[in-house]
This record gives sequence, C-alpha cells and structure tokens, in this order.
Amino acid sequence: MATGDSTIRPQASTATGVAKVWHAVIAFFTLVLRTNTGRIGLAVVGIHVVLALIGPWITPFPPTEYHIQDQYSSPTSTYWLGTDEKGRDIFSRVLAGARSIIWIATAGTILGVTFGTIVGVTSGYLGGRVDQVIMRIVDWFLAIPSLLLAILVINMATQRFRSVDESFIIIGIIGISFMPNNSRVIRSATLAIKPLEFVQSARLRGEPTLYIMFREVLPNVLPVVGVEATIRLSFALLLTAGLGFLGLGVQPPEPDWGKMVSENAIILDVAPLASLAPGIAMASLVVGINLLADGIRQAQNLPETGDR
Amino acid sequence: MTQALQQDAPLMQVEDLAVTFYSPNGTFRAVRDASLEIARGEVVGLVGESGCGKSTVAFAMMGYLPGTAEVEGAVRFEGVDITTLSTSELMELRGNRIAMVYQDPVTSLNPSMRVGPQVEEVLLRHLDIDSDAARTRSVELFESVGLADPDRIGRRYPHELSGGQQQRVVIAMALACDPHLLIMDEPTTGLDVTTEATILDLIVELKDRVNAGILFVSHNLGVIARVADRVAVMYAGEIVEQAPVRELFKNPSHPYTAGLLSCVPQPPGDDGVERQLSSIPGTVFDAQTEQAEECLFAPRCPLAQESCTTQSPPLVDTSANGHPSTGSGDHLSRCFFPGDVTSNLWGEALARVEKTHEQDRGPVLNIEGLRKFYGGGRKKYILFGPPVARPVRALVDVDMKVGSGRTIGVVGESGSGKSTAARAIVGLEPKDRGSLELHGEDLEGNVHDRTEDQRSAMRMVFQNPTASLNPKLPVGHAIVRALRKFAGVNKQESTQRAEELMEAVGLDPTFLDRQPTELSGGQQQRVALASAFAANPDLVVADEAVSALDVSVQAQVLNLLEDHQRETGNSYVFITHDLGVVRYISDDILVLYAGHVAEYGPSQAVLNVPSHPYTEALLSAAPVPDPDAKPTHIRLEGSVPTLRGAFTGCSFAGRCPRKIGDICDTTPPPTQDGPEGDNHFINCHIPISELESLQKADSGARAIAG
Repeated sequence: MATGDSTIRPQASTATGVAKVWHAVIAFFTLVLRTNTGRIGLAVVGIHVVLALIGPWITPFPPTEYHIQDQYSSPTSTYWLGTDEKGRDIFSRVLAGARSIIWIATAGTILGVTFGTIVGVTSGYLGGRVDQVIMRIVDWFLAIPSLLLAILVINMATQRFRSVDESFIIIGIIGISFMPNNSRVIRSATLAIKPLEFVQSARLRGEPTLYIMFREVLPNVLPVVGVEATIRLSFALLLTAGLGFLGLGVQPPEPDWGKMVSENAIILDVAPLASLAPGIAMASLVVGINLLADGIRQAQNLPETGDR
Repeated sequence: MTQALQQDAPLMQVEDLAVTFYSPNGTFRAVRDASLEIARGEVVGLVGESGCGKSTVAFAMMGYLPGTAEVEGAVRFEGVDITTLSTSELMELRGNRIAMVYQDPVTSLNPSMRVGPQVEEVLLRHLDIDSDAARTRSVELFESVGLADPDRIGRRYPHELSGGQQQRVVIAMALACDPHLLIMDEPTTGLDVTTEATILDLIVELKDRVNAGILFVSHNLGVIARVADRVAVMYAGEIVEQAPVRELFKNPSHPYTAGLLSCVPQPPGDDGVERQLSSIPGTVFDAQTEQAEECLFAPRCPLAQESCTTQSPPLVDTSANGHPSTGSGDHLSRCFFPGDVTSNLWGEALARVEKTHEQDRGPVLNIEGLRKFYGGGRKKYILFGPPVARPVRALVDVDMKVGSGRTIGVVGESGSGKSTAARAIVGLEPKDRGSLELHGEDLEGNVHDRTEDQRSAMRMVFQNPTASLNPKLPVGHAIVRALRKFAGVNKQESTQRAEELMEAVGLDPTFLDRQPTELSGGQQQRVALASAFAANPDLVVADEAVSALDVSVQAQVLNLLEDHQRETGNSYVFITHDLGVVRYISDDILVLYAGHVAEYGPSQAVLNVPSHPYTEALLSAAPVPDPDAKPTHIRLEGSVPTLRGAFTGCSFAGRCPRKIGDICDTTPPPTQDGPEGDNHFINCHIPISELESLQKADSGARAIAG
C-alpha cells in the first residue's frame, strides 16, 4: 500500500501543471454550457474573440487605407459594409477595431479584479479596525468618477509627455475605478467564509495569516470573482468605447469603435453603417458577455449581486 | 369536492408509496416502499436517520411534492387519493383539513407581520367568518396552546417571542381550522431540551383534546417514545418496521430498529451498570442506487444470510412470531428472521471498560476565573463617545480542571456560554480575564500568541462536519498540514502518517485525495478527528462534535473518541446540549447557565441528588427512549437571558422553579460543597441538605404518582 502510493503520488504532482489548467478549462466550459443563457453568451463572445484574433489576416483592405474615389459607398461586393468619408473600408475597420477595445477592456478588468480581490480578501479576513480603514479608503476611491478621471489623466499625460500610449493609461484607470466595487463584493464573500470551521481550524493549527487568506479562503471566493470579472468586463468595454467616442484612446488613424461612432455620426444620412456597424458590434459583445456572466452564475447557483 | 370525502374511510392511508426525484445530478429514490395508516385521535411516529425518506412521506401526505417527483402508489385522505387532486383542490385541504408544523419556527413565521394577523389569515382564508370573529378565535387558539397572555401576544412580532413561543404560535396556526390530520415534521429538533419538553407536553395534551390524527416525524427515539402511540421505522426509503410504541421499544423485530435502540446512550439500568454503546457499521443505502431483489439493510446487518441478498423481504406480521404480543396483531417487520432479533443482537450489553486514571500527573488544563464579555467596545461615534450598550456577559468567572485522561462534559442550553468557553480555551476568542494553564504553563489568550507545542497539545473538533473541511481542497489537506506543522515530518512521511491516521479512524486511506463533498457527514467528522489526533494532543476540545450526526454514526464517533482516549490517555472537553451523551462520555460535568457555573463535579455526583435546580430541570427535560419512563414535571419556560453590565444575584433566578425569595435576585449565590465533598460544587442559595430533601421528596412523589 505504502510503496504503491509513494510511487504514484509524485507522478500525479508532476502532471499537475498542464493537466490542472486543462481540467480547469474543461470545467469552465461544462459549467457555461449547462444553461442556454451561457451557451448563447459563449457563442456571441466566441465569435467576437475569434474575429478579433484572426482579423488582420481576413480584412479585405488595410483598415487605414484611403479610397478617395469610393467615398460614402453603400455596401457593395467590394466594400461589404460600405466606406466612410475618406473611403476607408468599414468592415475592415470594425474588424481591426475589435482588437484594441477587447485588449484594453480585458487587461483593465483583470487589473481591477486582481487588485480588488486582494483588497477584499484582506479587508474581509482581517476585519476590525483594518477593515474599517481599508473600506473608508475604498469608499473614497468609489467617489471618483472614472470618465472624468480618465479625461483628466489623459490630458495631463499628453501635455506633459509627447508620445504616450493612451491605452495603458486607460487600462490603469479601468483598474483603479473597478477596484472599489470589486473589493466590496469580494469582501462580503470573504465574510461569509471567514467564520466557517475550516478557517478556524487553520487558525488553530497556527497557519500564517497570509496562508489562510490565500490558500484556504481565496479558493472559496473564486467563483464570485469569476462572475464579478465577467460583469465588470462589459462595463470596461463601455468605458473604453465611451472614451473613444470622446476622442480619447487609440491614436487616429488606427480604428476604434467609439471614435468611429462619433466621427461618422455626422454622415449618418449618407453612410449610416459607418457609425452603426461599430455600435452594433459593441452592443452585441456587451450583451454576449452579460449572458455569459448570467450563465456562469445560474450554473453555480450563486445569488445575483445587487451591486452593479 | 368536500362531499367526496368519505367519513368512514380511514383518515390517512398511504399505500405502496414510492417517490422518485429526477434531477440533472441523478435519480434519487427518496421513498421506495411505504405503507402507513393514521386513524383519528392517534399519534403515529415516523422515525429514521437523515436521508431515509421520512420527510418525503410527510410532504406526500400534503401533496407538496415538486413536479420533478414521480409518485407511485396511493395517498388517500379520507378516501380521496391526494395524488390525483388539482392544485385548487389541494389548497382547499391544506391548512384546513391537513395542517403542517415545520421544524424551524423562525422560517415558518413571517418576520414582518405580527403573529396574531398571521393566525387570523389562515382562519379568514378557510372559514366563512369576519375579522372580529377571527380575532376572538385566534385568542382562543393562543390560549389553547398554552401561551401566556393570549389577549396581547398576537400583537407581537415573531422576533419578540422565544423559540418555544414561536413554535406554539405555529402549532396554533396549524390547529386554526380544526384539521383532521396534523403533520409535524421534526417540530422540536431546533429547540433546546427544556423548550422541547414543554412543546412535547403540549403535543401529548393536544392528542387527548383535539380529535385529529397526528403524524410525528422525528429522528429522536426519545421524543418518539414520549408522544407516539404507534411507530413506523424507515430505512433507505422503506418502512422496515411498524408497531405500537411499547411493543417496538421492548420487542423490536427488525435488526435496524434494534440497532438504533442500542446506539442511543441510555441511563444506567437497575443494576447500575453502564452499557457500552453499540454502533451500526457502514452507511445508509444510497438513494441513487437502483434496488435489486435484496434486503436494503443486508450490507449492515448481523443477521444477513445468503437469501437476504437475493430476495427482498416482505412486510410480515410478527405479532405471533415468537414474540409475545399485546394482542394488537399489527406488529409488522420487513425481515426474514424477525424471531432472531434480540436485544443482544448488536453485541452483548457489555459493561463499559473502566478507565484507568493517572491522577498523580496533575491536571492537563486548569482554568481559573475565566471571563469573556462581548460588545463592550462599541462607541457612539465609532471610536469616541459613550459606549452604545453594556457588554454581554458571555462567561463569568468560570473555574474548572481537566484531569489527564479524563473527559469533562460542559452542558447548558443555547446561550449558556458553552461554545464561548470552548473558543476561549483554544484561543479563538481571546479571554478578557482569568488564567488558563496547560500543564501548569500559562497560556496566552490568543491562539496566535501561543507556542507551537501548546497549539499541538490542544486541538479542537467542531460541530458542523461539512464546514470543518475546506470544500476546495482535498480531504487530506488538513491532516497533512497538521502533521507537517506539529510532527515536523516531511511531505512523503506525512502522507504515510495521514494514511495510518485515516485507518485509525476507520476510513479508507484512498479518501485522502478525494473532495470533501464526496464524503458523508460521519466520514467528514472522522477526517476532522483524524486531523485533531494528528499530533497526539493532550487535550481535544469537542464543540457539539456529535450533535449534527445521525444516532448510528454518533455512536461510532463516541466509541472512536473513547477508544482513542483509552489508547493514548488524552483528555476531552466535551461540549454538548445532549444530556444522554454527556452522561455516557463524561467523568466530570460542568453545568453552565448564562455564562455562570451552576454546578461542577464528578458525573455521578452531578447527575444524582442533590443537584442545582438548573441541572435538575435539564435532567427532567431530557427525553428518554423508553415509553414507560415516567413523565417528569419540572419545566422551564422562556430561554437563557442575555446578562449585561453589572449584574448581581443568581443568573438563574428568573426561571428557577425553586427560587426562595429576594435573596436570589440581589445576592450572588454562594458556592457550596456537595455532600460527598469530592470536588462537587453547587452555586445556590438553598442549603445542600435542603436541596437534597426537596429533590428526594419530589422524585418519591413522582414514583407514587407513576
């Protein structure tokens, strides 16, 4: 018995690297595919992600190429969704625009959720005075309007430094503005786990506080983190698009959905698809992500978070 | 529709009922074969362990099963098959002709409505009366269930009532329309023993007063023995035995019933010898498994033969079969060998092995003046200003000694401070004052500040086995971590030791790599024990460690604890509300009331006269699994008070049945030595000799009355 086990066990632990990730991926998909909501959401988001990834290879034209003779074209077999005032192919621009917005929103969300989770678990687990102080600071962050902060920081940064990548500033701002809400949700999930007996027995074993927080408590709040991250992602997309609409974000002439909607709004009567197409792309992605989040939540029987 | 109900038909007749639930997670055969009849004016007890389908039978009688359930067989209420009725016809019956009392009164009552209107609502819904008449009737109902001040109690909200009062309101609501059938699903399980006793008294009294049939579902044999006329025992969805209550308890003719009876700690018999608990090996037959032609109990049964695994036994009348019956002719058993079922089936009634105490080593744990107050720190302006409320006195000046190799039982109702005591001892709740000494060495209040050796010498087992293991980590995690922390062994050695520990607590070592959710509650609790035993602790604090377990599993765990103690000589602080368990396992007993020590001493001394009036009341309330047990008369109403601030006087004065006067309210009771003087202390104003004569006189009077 003992010899058999000592030979089997190390193998099992070396195989964990790839196998564990693979198991997690399989588990995620079976979870999402359990409900209709999740299936539709996954399909919509999947199409978006795949198109964004292979976009550069399937765009019929370079997205920044001018076709002066073909201004304001209606959808034709050459230009599938028509062209804008400079004769640029709208289909190519929508495809290319997906990349930047998905990258910025995802990176910002991951930043905010990671930060928020650390703050939430710490504050919830430690409790008492520490919790009071952390939560008041979080409240203070909550009072900052993210859009105004973004405008302020981007303007200051572009004045101070000539060449600055605005997308990293936006990622940072999404991270900062999502941290407070996220940490509150994670904190309340932690508060539900903290009094449970297995946490108490870890304390009685004399485990270090950090070990208890991140080895014992964190795995139990991860389902909440997952749903929270998915919901936040759609907000991040809307914020990024909103900044693009106001002219902040990806530098022209690179395509950006928000900017395309705003700059083509004046030619809505001649080339309606020039602003509608990126708008529809945006809306379908946000709806898809929300469906996905609902699907995960339904499959896990988690209650709806009132904090939206 | 009312005309359709035939008056001459039996009140409730369940015939060959089978209920199957279909869910994405599998098919659950909750009830496989149940037949049961209830007549007017009788109480039928339905008893069994968790998951055996007793609640499903109760819900089937109300027609309350969800759409995912497939129901076979018939449930006839006054001749009408309930399973064929439409929703509106069922609504006509429920609350009116059939009423139900649930386990938890807190969730049965609407917290945002006063209780009076909640009862009136039932009356207005089913009876053709106006609101004034409904009000008058609700007051009558409150009076009939023994609620004090029935005129005004209806204006209170549920949270303003104690648990016992809430359950009385729920019973009043069930009785509102004079139901023909009353279904009570574990109506006393969530209540304290003292409250349970008063509710059971009420039910016994109601039985004679209202002309209704009552189905009483419970897992507790003591409770069933107190109230039922007839008892049906369920196992794995089948009714395995059915008999009049006295017959069932005296002459069980199914091995499972005999097993259940021998799992319950009983008071010592007439010969004064305490019996070792026997336990039923294995676990309950899985509800997801399809039934073959076999006896479902065969895998756990000491009588099992070849034939038991190839044929399913029919329900046969055993009243003439070897057992002298009372002549009622309705003793049914689902066993091939009912004649072979004897009281010694689960092992001879062995006298318990006496422990050999090593008294000279001195106490393991010495507690003096332990004190813990809660909530004193809140100020009006968060950090400043006057305090919002006076602190709650959770523990006040508790002294106790835990001898090496001994078990001290800590008893009391909920709110008496016993869990706080446990948490203060292990250091989860730092003490406010007093001293804790482990082997004569001072202990810090907070577990974080104690040394590794001290932590390893004192371990804890919790009440809820499911929450004791981290659901996201493998079963072995807690054991391996404890080994690596305390025994200082490397990873490979700790795995090997963990496997040995798993075997020591009677579990398969392969469980170590499983997920905790795959284990049953009893198995999870054994893992928790293995993790507590990991580093050979000197003291294990068990906070209601067996309360959440079924009786058969509870007996297994209790025996495991005792065996471990005999082998290693460790000590236990055993916290429980169950006096039967305390009586069985403890060498010493500490009785706590509202954070104060009421009585402390060796088990025998505490459990016999003279004892503190509170101990007396607790003992009097504890249900005994014997239908012939004489009903005791001391009852406590209300619940343990929350004492705040500078309280003087006796904490028990407010509920004490033996209160002697103002002195009880104003002066703290003196600590008196018991008559034998062997470290037995009673904190009471009544002199010991007087207590003794009072209590002896009472038990004498009871003997004559009985």
